[in-house]
Parts: sequence; C-alpha cells; structure tokens
Amino acid sequence: MRTKRRLALLAVLVGLSGIGAAGSAQAQEARLEGRVPEPARGEIDAVLAAARDAGIPTEPLVDRALEGASKGADGQRIVAAVRRLDLELRSSRDALGLQSTDAEVVAGASALRAGAQPGDLTELRKSRGEQPLTVAAAVLADLVAVGVPVDTAVAAVLALAEGVDDTEYIAFRQNVERDIALGASPVSALGVRLDAAAEFAAGDQADRSPPQRPRKP
Amino acid sequence: MFERDEKLDRGVELLKEPVHLDPGFDRRVMAEIASAPRPRAWVRPIWAGIEWMRRGRPVTVSPLGGLAMAAGVAAVLLLGRSWLAPGETAPATATTAAPGSVVQFVIVAPAASTVSLVGDFNDWMNGATPMERVAGNGVWSVTVPLEPGRYRYAYLVDGTTWLSDPSAPPALDDEFGRPGSVVTIGEL
Repeated sequence: MRTKRRLALLAVLVGLSGIGAAGSAQAQEARLEGRVPEPARGEIDAVLAAARDAGIPTEPLVDRALEGASKGADGQRIVAAVRRLDLELRSSRDALGLQSTDAEVVAGASALRAGAQPGDLTELRKSRGEQPLTVAAAVLADLVAVGVPVDTAVAAVLALAEGVDDTEYIAFRQNVERDIALGASPVSALGVRLDAAAEFAAGDQADRSPPQRPRKP
Repeated sequence: MFERDEKLDRGVELLKEPVHLDPGFDRRVMAEIASAPRPRAWVRPIWAGIEWMRRGRPVTVSPLGGLAMAAGVAAVLLLGRSWLAPGETAPATATTAAPGSVVQFVIVAPAASTVSLVGDFNDWMNGATPMERVAGNGVWSVTVPLEPGRYRYAYLVDGTTWLSDPSAPPALDDEFGRPGSVVTIGEL
C-alpha cells in the first residue's frame, strides 16, 4: 500500500516537473532563435521572463535584442543593452503609474535615456491629466537628441503640457528642429518657439473669454 | 554609374562651402523678434490663419497617395537634374501618421542597388521591408502601417551600409555602433 502511494507521489512529481519544463520551453522567445547566440539568448530569455512577471512590456526588449543581432553586435553587448532598457522601462512604468500604456512606458524610457529624471515623468503625467503621454515624452527625448540641454527640454515640455495637444507638440518639435537646421542655437530656437506658443495660447484664451458687459454710464 | 557634369559639380562644391554666421546673429534675431509690434485685436484672426499655415503638421497619406507624392518628387528631380553626386544620399522623409494609418519612408540613394527599411516594426529583418525605386533617379519609397508607439529604425543600403534618416530625430545613444532614427506615432 505504502509502495503504491510512493509510486503515485513519484508519478505526480515527474508530471509536475514535465509541466515545468514545458513551461520554461514556452518562455523562450522564438524570434531570437538563430539570431542571438547562446548563452546570450538564455540570459535575454531570463530578462524577458522577469519583465513579464513584473508587467513590463517585453516587445521593446525583444526589439532591442533583434536590433543588436541585425547590426552584428556580439552577445554580451546585446544582453547589456537589453538589461539597460529593462531598467529604464521599469523606472518609466514606476514614474508614470500602473495605468500607463505600453507606448507611454516606452516613450518614457526614451526620455529617461535622454537624461530626464523619473520625477519629471511623474510631473508630466500630472500636468497632462487624461491625455496620453507618448508624444510628449518622445518630444522631450527628440529635443535632447537635436542638442537642447535636458533641463531646458524638460522645462519646455512641462510648460506646454497643459495647453497643447499631440499635434501641436509634434509641430513644436519640428519648428525647433527647422530653426536649428537654419543656424539658430538649440536654446535660442527653443526659446523663440516657446514664446510663440505661449503668445498663441494667450491669444486663444483671450478669444475664448466672454466679452465684458459694457458699464452703464 | 552616373556621368558627372559641370552643373552637378558646381552644385556639390557650393554645398560643401561652410556657412558663416557672425556671433551676434542670435542676439540680433531675438532683439528683432522682441521689438516686433504685437498684432491688434482685428489682426489676430488673420495672424492666427498665417500661423496655422506656417505650422508644420503630421501628414496622413494613403499608400497610393504616398507613391504619387514620391513620383512627383522624382519627376521634379528628373526635370531639374539632381544636385547629388553619385553615391551621395539625400535626407529621407518619414511622415508621422495617425494611429492605424500608414507611414511613408522615402530616401534618395542614387547609387544604391537595393534599399531595405529595418526597424522595430519588422523585427530588424533585412529584406523584410524592401524599398521600391520609384523613378530612375534614386528615389526609394515604402509605406508601413504603424500602431501608436515609438519605433527605432534605419535604412540598409545594398545589405551593408547603415543609414539613419536625416529628417527624423536620431536614436539616442546607439549601443551597437550603427546609426538609427526614431519615429513616434501618437495615440488618439
């Protein structure tokens, strides 16, 4: 009787280990096969599994690994890039909140890579209210990429946060880039465009305010 | 190969000349802006209209419309002769589109035999998104449907040369030693 029980227990354990093995096999990212060499692939799979458990978007991590593979980077360089992005995504998600979309978390990670602080993203979330943050955070990163100092870029994006929509954010970035291409310094270009946006917003506000009732003589 | 001609060479030499701006340029421009008279109330709608027309905007195009535009660009280049020397690459254009729409990528690479668009949207697979030569003057184009998000990408010329998109923001801190660009699609 006891032997039967032992055999049954053994069978259950063997079955469970089989399920576990199958589970870990499923956790491997198929797209990395043949493109990222071992042992780097195993290390990236581990990063992906941990990210999945933490609710971090894994697609950008896979993309980064595939980018490295496509560009001919060695395995350890790819792993380092994936790990770094994983940390940025986690920091971005923590700063923006659990309700953030994957696109927002990715754009937030770009802003952090550009030098913004997690507190800046939190501030941006508060200022934007219900509006999506993807474009605002991306514009911050893009401004830094064209030479605007990070503190200045953060201040500009936050200054616009309450008054402009995504289309206007993109137009603002394009105008700054155009001015820089024409020879203006990044800070000057940003300042001029920020003043213009503020003036335009003030004009809009004035046009919307109700007309004052004429006073009786 | 392309034949060199005098006009083309003159254009290349002209483009190579550095542009000199005196140190007071920025200050004078800012002073000029500050001293400009503010528009009166009745001018505001007109001024707003001008601003509206001057402001850059994302453009949504259908694949057919995109190809027609690219063909138009190619036609202009064909009529006026390109200012590009053989082997040089002109700035490419990626337009930002609304969610679920199509983004057009255009690059001018006269000496290329093949050009591929590679990026986050196609698993960085060389050849997955080949660009098509729109005309005989080196204009390459492709359209890609993209969902909201931020995507890194690059152009791969002849399977060996990586190019970023000069008309798009550069990908920050490239970790793999090859250039790249980013395009962001907003959420509605």
